[in-house]
Amino acid sequence: MDINVRKRSEVQLIQLRGPLRMGPAVDGLRQAMEEVIGHGDYRIVINLAEVTMIDSSGIGLLVRFLASTKKQSGSIKLVQPSKFAVQTLKLVGVLNLFEIFEDDDAAVASFS
Amino acid sequence: MADEFGAGGSSGFTELLNLSMPANSESIATITGAISEILERLELPEQKRFEIDLAVQEALANAVVHGCDGDSSKTIRCRLNGDQQGRIVISVTDPGPGFRPEVIPDPKRAEGLYGDHGRGVYLIRQLMDEVQFERGGAEIKMWKY
Repeated sequence: MDINVRKRSEVQLIQLRGPLRMGPAVDGLRQAMEEVIGHGDYRIVINLAEVTMIDSSGIGLLVRFLASTKKQSGSIKLVQPSKFAVQTLKLVGVLNLFEIFEDDDAAVASFS
Repeated sequence: MADEFGAGGSSGFTELLNLSMPANSESIATITGAISEILERLELPEQKRFEIDLAVQEALANAVVHGCDGDSSKTIRCRLNGDQQGRIVISVTDPGPGFRPEVIPDPKRAEGLYGDHGRGVYLIRQLMDEVQFERGGAEIKMWKY
């Protein structure tokens, strides 16, 4: 999985590409998230437009860090989750925990 | 060639894959990749392929993490059989002691929503048409019709 992290307007924007499943993909995202949060950044946007699937370990990672950021008055907001990512998040009942946006700009602006 | 995969009154299943591999995430990727190729070759609809792929991913992950404690010296086995109607049955076996699937809590309960684990078996049951646990939970068989 490709993981690209950049900062925009005090919001960390994480772009993912590929399946988010147990192994290097989830490990890589966990590391990236820990680094972001370690720097005290709790406002995070994750772009899922090119994430073809999310397994339960990927979901677990997202909701765990969502809880962590919310405790610090931040959040994780999702951009353009694919059809199958939405289906999976919905199946396990966590889709509604996340705010979802059509593009990065709208997600970043929502933190203002 | 019909075999024990013909459970539930079905018959005519042919073995399409039978792999034994070390219990690690690389093997999961190898097996799911091979299964994806088979499902594409069978020209199954995209939705059905997605559901099978994710269910297999979850079953293999459970086998590696829980059945083998992440010990790659242990072996997991995956078999896939199919018939001419596009029905698929997949089994994943690990050498572990098994588990009791009936005691797994519902991950959609309020107190579990923010948990970082415990969704795999629930997902499998949602994605597949029939699921059976055998060998005390050390083997899962999943049907997609």
